[in-house]
Amino acid sequence: MTSLYTCSAFIPGQAGSVRLRSHWIGHNKYCRMVILEDEGLSWICIQCPGSVRNLSEVALYCKQTPELMLQARCCLNQKGTILGLDLQNCSLKDPGPNFPQAHTAVIIDLQANPLEDDLANIFRGFTQLQTLILPQDVSCPGGINAWNTVTFYMNNQTCQGQRNLCNSTGDQEMCPENGSCVPDGPGLLQCVCADGFHGYKCMRQGSFSLLMFFGILGSTTLSVSILLWGTQRRKAKAS
Amino acid sequence: MAWPNIFQRGTLFSRFSHHHVVVFLLTFFSYSLLHASRKTFSNVKVSISKQWTPSAFNKSIRLPVEIWSSNHLFPSAEEATLFLGTLDTIFLFSYAVGLFISGIVGDRLNLRWVLSFGMCSSALVVFVFGPVTEWLHFYNKGLYCCLWIGNGLLQSTGWPCVVAVMGNWFGKAGRGVVFGLWSACASVGNILGACLASSVLQYGYEYAFLVTAAVQFAGGIIIFFGLLVSPEEIGIPGIEAEENFEEDSHRPLINDAENEDEYEPNYSIQEGSTITQVKAISFYQACCLPGVIPYSLAYACLKLVNYSFFFWLPFYLSNNFGWKEAEADKLSIWYDVGGIIGGTLQGFVSDVLQKRAPVLALSLLLAVGSLVGYSRSPNDKSINALLMAVTGFFIGGPSNMISSAISADLGHQELIQGSSEALATVTGIVDGTGSIGAAVGQYLVSLIQDNLGWMWVFYFFILMVQARPSSLVRGAWSSLELPQGCVLCCHKGRFSCLTAF
Repeated sequence: MTSLYTCSAFIPGQAGSVRLRSHWIGHNKYCRMVILEDEGLSWICIQCPGSVRNLSEVALYCKQTPELMLQARCCLNQKGTILGLDLQNCSLKDPGPNFPQAHTAVIIDLQANPLEDDLANIFRGFTQLQTLILPQDVSCPGGINAWNTVTFYMNNQTCQGQRNLCNSTGDQEMCPENGSCVPDGPGLLQCVCADGFHGYKCMRQGSFSLLMFFGILGSTTLSVSILLWGTQRRKAKAS
Repeated sequence: MAWPNIFQRGTLFSRFSHHHVVVFLLTFFSYSLLHASRKTFSNVKVSISKQWTPSAFNKSIRLPVEIWSSNHLFPSAEEATLFLGTLDTIFLFSYAVGLFISGIVGDRLNLRWVLSFGMCSSALVVFVFGPVTEWLHFYNKGLYCCLWIGNGLLQSTGWPCVVAVMGNWFGKAGRGVVFGLWSACASVGNILGACLASSVLQYGYEYAFLVTAAVQFAGGIIIFFGLLVSPEEIGIPGIEAEENFEEDSHRPLINDAENEDEYEPNYSIQEGSTITQVKAISFYQACCLPGVIPYSLAYACLKLVNYSFFFWLPFYLSNNFGWKEAEADKLSIWYDVGGIIGGTLQGFVSDVLQKRAPVLALSLLLAVGSLVGYSRSPNDKSINALLMAVTGFFIGGPSNMISSAISADLGHQELIQGSSEALATVTGIVDGTGSIGAAVGQYLVSLIQDNLGWMWVFYFFILMVQARPSSLVRGAWSSLELPQGCVLCCHKGRFSCLTAF
């Protein structure tokens, strides 16, 4: 579905990220789909039409740092990592299946959307998130305890400063043996292996030096075998 | 009272050349290494069980799947424990079968080749079982069972070969002392295996298998290049030329390899000055000899307990007290230490008294007490180690005596005197029943522990141990007299010097 004069389309459920480019052949305008993954732009940035609003927090953040650039709804750094996401006024009931693509974001703006309330698990993996702007009726994910400051404005509320809840719960047995608690997003925790431990269930510690072991064993075997052969079997009759 | 030959040391050891020393050490350490790799499996049961199951942590915190629950070979730790018991049972059964086969094969092939082949190939099987499956992350129950059957068959080549080689080199005089010292090889192997495993367990359980398999393989190579199977190989006269016919009672100590006599091609078994016709007796006839069946069944019970400690002790310590597996492994050594001391001391005492049954009966009664005490051991490492050593002392000692000396005595009865096949058959019956009992017991232990807990496992042990004293005092065997000069050889906490496993 294309409009008469512009190529724009919202294709839900599309596997790759696409953009439409137009070109003229004769009097007809053709819209061509270009796979945007080659251009390095994630689907989350273009799924909501438009671009980052000029006066939004995301835009301000992006302009503060010179290396960052704005593309569609995202603020990207030189490597293409999403650092800011502006999904204002996108008529979103929920951020959608592509939302985890923005897990590296530092600032996200979701105001003016009819979001459903329970956002806790949507932000799993968003460990860098420091500023989250939400519609007024939605509570900050993880509750007020998960954020340093929660400010209420006229049109939105702003959750700022993600807190590490690992220490605050006071429970010493939070993780299985050899695991340690690390944050997993606002109000979320996960268990990874403690320092020095690795492997399945973090059972393994350190690394075994195969070379040294086999070196010592091999040389010992060789010398003992030669010694014994010389003293014992050399005179043996063929058997 | 007859003092054992140990006091005639002076004339004894002067006859031994450096070849004898090397043969002693090589056979000692080759069996130790075989035993060490067997013990490794018991030492890493906790880690393997963890590796095979997903994490059962029940809190709200998120556990990333790839770290904590990607392996679903068994749904829970209980199922894994049951399978570990099954593997032990499979191993014991195939070991028993392998002994019979090895008896036949070893007679026809060079002992050195058989022993080094057995050691090296068993090391390769263990290498595939542990490190390879772990590095490839390929966990499969069928594969583990097949590998462990292969391991049992290959390991069974060890014992008959080493006993035969020792028999070739060490004549009757002084055999008691030498074999007494030598028979500590199994316990030393257990201790060695526990030390090796606990020192590398932190890197991963697969490294415990890797280390013991590699050392065993190296041992196999050294055996191949250094072992002289008999004195004839280098032209020294064999032990037949030095037979001391007074010491005919030493016969039982070296007759071995289950029911077969094919392992003793190089030394003849003589009874005093009468060279009686070597007469085989049938399996059925051997069973019908007085005392064979009751002792076999009783030995099965005792071997079950002994083996259960061998296979399950580190796992129990880890599970029950929550100690780290490496520490549990190091502590389990004390059972073997108790067993070595118990076997030696009780053997010596029964030798001096010339009676076995009283020593046995007393030891087993005290074993019940020590089991009760051990099952109620507090969560303190020193006390637990002490109780463990005491238990090893009272269970290991009788186990040795029954399998070695009493088998010899059973085979010495007037009915079949002079028949070496009879002795071998009797030994085989006693030991074979013992092995089967032990094999069945391993599965039972894991089943009982799974359903009823560790306390009931100890009650089961007490029941097994108590079955002994009653049959001991029964009938003619309550006053079992030792043939003159029969020296009790076994120091081992676990296996007899005669019979395998």
